[in-house]
Amino acid sequence: MTSEPVSRDQLERILDAAAHAPNAGNRRLQRLVVIDDAATLRVLRMVSPGMLQRPAAAVVICIDVGRAVEYGLPATNSGLLIDVGTAAQTMLLAAHALDLGSGPVTSFSKAAVSTVLNLPARWSPELVVCLGHAATTQPSPVGPHRRLTWRDLSYWGRLDRNANTAAGS
Amino acid sequence: MVLTEDEALELLTYLVTAARTQVDEAAEYGPLRLLTAAQRLAGYMAPRVSPEMRSLLEGPIQRVPQTATRSADPDGYAATLDTMCRALAEHLVTRYGVDGGAQ
Repeated sequence: MTSEPVSRDQLERILDAAAHAPNAGNRRLQRLVVIDDAATLRVLRMVSPGMLQRPAAAVVICIDVGRAVEYGLPATNSGLLIDVGTAAQTMLLAAHALDLGSGPVTSFSKAAVSTVLNLPARWSPELVVCLGHAATTQPSPVGPHRRLTWRDLSYWGRLDRNANTAAGS
Repeated sequence: MVLTEDEALELLTYLVTAARTQVDEAAEYGPLRLLTAAQRLAGYMAPRVSPEMRSLLEGPIQRVPQTATRSADPDGYAATLDTMCRALAEHLVTRYGVDGGAQ
């Protein structure tokens, strides 16, 4: 990513998209923390080993675990993380629509990020959406495995014995 | 001193937080994180070291892309790491004058 800043208007449009992301029960238990100042971004990157890029802005998606528990959900409920994913993907698409580069990061120290951002104890940071203007050259993606097509990943109807064998069971 | 305090702190923070994230992540990320740390250290060192050392830091040490992982090509990955290790060892042999042969 280049050092060109992401505008406030662009960030607000991305956040608006996130607010429309699919969300279980429309409970909206995710909280978004926007970082666009250079000093905090630098420190955020320092505690995020998976953040190879140098974003011009970042949105930290947190789960309000306290509120989830008040809802009667176990803190480990997988739906909470699924909703983090839908929010993240919606923001990535919104960024793309605005001609911005973006990338998700989950390799960070939650304890350190919570401290850096002074998050409430009941919030758990789960994913960072990095945003910026894409550089002209990009590193190769992690694990240059064979490109899988939808045919490699999809099954029609009930799985037969061959499909089970192929799936490794 | 080949690092500023800020550079050293950034590297220290990277190593400590990577130790924590690695507890929950795929084992193949272990060498990836170590290499990223090594490459960042090399980047800090390069402007302040001898030409021979700089050649090592900007050449073999940067040979593995930051996003490369073992599973894509296990043999090739190990071979590239071996190449990096050999280049380091050759530099050490020359730098510390241990290439005189057995007496």
